[in-house]
Amino acid sequence: MTDSRKTIVVTGIGVVSPYGIGVDCLQAGMLSGKCRLAHTKDLYPGFVGSTAHVRGLPPLQNDGPQYSRSDRLAMVAARDAVGRLDCENTALRGSGVFMASTVAGLSEIDPEIAENPSAWYQRGGLARAASYPAACVADAVGECLGVRGPRCAISAACASSAMAIALAANMLLDGATPMMLAGGSDALCPFTLSGFNSLQALDPDPCRPFDQNRKGLNLGEGAAVLVLETLERAEARNANVLAVLRGWAMTNDAFHSTAPQTQGNGLADCMRLAMEMARVRGDDIGYVNAHGTGTPLNDVAETNAYDTVFRERKRPIPVSSTKSYFGHCLGAAGALEAIIAIIAVRCGALLPTLRLTDPIESPSVDWLRGKVVCQEVPLAMSVSAGFGGSNAALIFEHGQFGSGR
Amino acid sequence: MTSNLAAITGIGSVSPYGTLAGLIPRCALEPEPITAWPTSGLRRAFLVKPFRPASVVPGLKTRRLDRLSAWAMVASSLAIQDAGIDLSQEDRSRVAVVFGTGLGCAELTEAFFHSAAAHGWSGTDPSPFPEGLANAPASHVALWHEVRGPNVTVGCKGFAGESALIQAASLLRHGQADLAIVLAGDTLTRAVYEWYEAAGLLSPACYNSEPVTDGIGFVPSEGVAALVLEPAGRREVRAYAHFGSGRWSTDGEAVETIRQMLGGAVPSITICAGDGAPCATSDTSALAGETSGTSAIVPAQAVAAGLTDASALLHLILALGSQLPSGKALLLGTSGENGFAALLLELP
Repeated sequence: MTDSRKTIVVTGIGVVSPYGIGVDCLQAGMLSGKCRLAHTKDLYPGFVGSTAHVRGLPPLQNDGPQYSRSDRLAMVAARDAVGRLDCENTALRGSGVFMASTVAGLSEIDPEIAENPSAWYQRGGLARAASYPAACVADAVGECLGVRGPRCAISAACASSAMAIALAANMLLDGATPMMLAGGSDALCPFTLSGFNSLQALDPDPCRPFDQNRKGLNLGEGAAVLVLETLERAEARNANVLAVLRGWAMTNDAFHSTAPQTQGNGLADCMRLAMEMARVRGDDIGYVNAHGTGTPLNDVAETNAYDTVFRERKRPIPVSSTKSYFGHCLGAAGALEAIIAIIAVRCGALLPTLRLTDPIESPSVDWLRGKVVCQEVPLAMSVSAGFGGSNAALIFEHGQFGSGR
Repeated sequence: MTSNLAAITGIGSVSPYGTLAGLIPRCALEPEPITAWPTSGLRRAFLVKPFRPASVVPGLKTRRLDRLSAWAMVASSLAIQDAGIDLSQEDRSRVAVVFGTGLGCAELTEAFFHSAAAHGWSGTDPSPFPEGLANAPASHVALWHEVRGPNVTVGCKGFAGESALIQAASLLRHGQADLAIVLAGDTLTRAVYEWYEAAGLLSPACYNSEPVTDGIGFVPSEGVAALVLEPAGRREVRAYAHFGSGRWSTDGEAVETIRQMLGGAVPSITICAGDGAPCATSDTSALAGETSGTSAIVPAQAVAAGLTDASALLHLILALGSQLPSGKALLLGTSGENGFAALLLELP
């Protein structure tokens, strides 16, 4: 029997992606098979690569240099998430905000800061540098919506926003807040492009996750925010339950600063723990939205993890990487992909990995490629991993509660 | 029955007080002149004295790491040693690391900008990039101790330390870890210090040799504090204190928040101001009034340690060493106009 006080549900979703604003834009764009990655040359002198940008961000009230582009993306996504929430302002006011970002205000800082900080601050950098701490993104969302509960930045590299969702769920189990807004936001900027380029991790062409001929990742930008609350609270206000967060887990490889553990043991443990929490078996999972960056090391480790976790299944597990559509949005990736997993359980639409022509061999994985597969998906898992060995897994189920107004 | 209390069984710190396992001995502390970068005249801060990490923790390799990562590895090692824990006897997949920081690895982030300024964005040095990520210290703690549980880095304006402790306790409460290494800290760099200066936030004591006084500006600080947190009663060992619950919010309502934490009652409590100034706020004064006769306002010894967003754990360690009466104690913090945090402890 479901304990509604301990069941965490999703009652709001907000998205800003290279497809536009809103989950409908994201869903329609991806179902149409359109790739938003495009060759770019102007991000800094000498850069040539494929990126996915958010265009046409709407103006914000009280906008100014105190906000970074990551802040702005987050605020638009958060407004989108609460726009159809239909809840009392008092509940929202006491809620918390956990937002992930790896870039935050780094996009606003010029390299000259390193030569003479004071001089750069005097030239107008003072307000721009104030947006540097990752906590600014959660603060921007809180200020924008009048949310006054606990605000926090979550940093776990590319697993950050999946962890933000997991930790927000813990806060709700603790009864610390009525609702939690959780997600992530990251803007494209020279700092991260240059960083990944220096590590030789970028594919200059649109990426090919899980393909034998993959060459690296592409960067994108975006933001995603989920509104989480307990089922008890959602039922009490007759809320539209979009999905149930059945399980979540976080682990660390403790292996290397940047490389994943080759066999994917940490990631496999993470998936197993999330399934234990959800009280489900491998056969119950209908779809996995993979981390799938397209880098040589990640995709092998991840495939090995799937082979470990799903080898007992009767049929191979359907897996795809949606980073092939709009790149890797870093701190926003986990939340964006959580939303794509929710789309899978709500609509039964399994998106293929684009440009996957020669997949890594795996006995346990059914690599989704070619066209959209339509089938009932009772449970979907979203998997994230990041530098520093961070792993996170989230399991979603179609919301079967509430009136579904 | 499962207790919601988490025992603080180990303490380690790398701070202006030194590199220490266990409680920090009471001592007066004055800001030090900054010599690590060129300054126009005297500039002071509470600084960590340079030391070789391997001289404190044999075998530790910290070359090319941000100082924040190196300090986190040292502080966590000292805390584990202080707790008397042999990690080889623990299930390392059940050991969590939760790290709170305001600014992350500012040193290597600046180094990456320096590389971009010198060589252009297309010629940057790859080594500072991943090591400049905010979660690098927590990752290195996991790598060094080979612990594979949840590895989380949190940042909150003013309350990174409180948030780390609260979320670590939550991981234990929900069975997501058996043991947590909780850390909080920041480093002071030229860009950070000069930002405070340009924003007019520094105390007059930063510019002359006068003693630090309360109320006008602040003296920046640096360091990392670490605690070992485990479910109460897991081992028969000494506990410095038990952590009950904690809250932080952007808009105070401190009295109501504390009432909720205490289950609606206002028992005999001791209020410790976490960073010196907070007790001046009307909310906390009101609470003190309601509990008069049994409560005591403890002046913050911690003011001498300076302020960062992540200083709560250091303040907690200082408070634990200041011979507070046994029973319930609240460690309070404020940030901005109305930001408020409270940690509820039970002292032996």
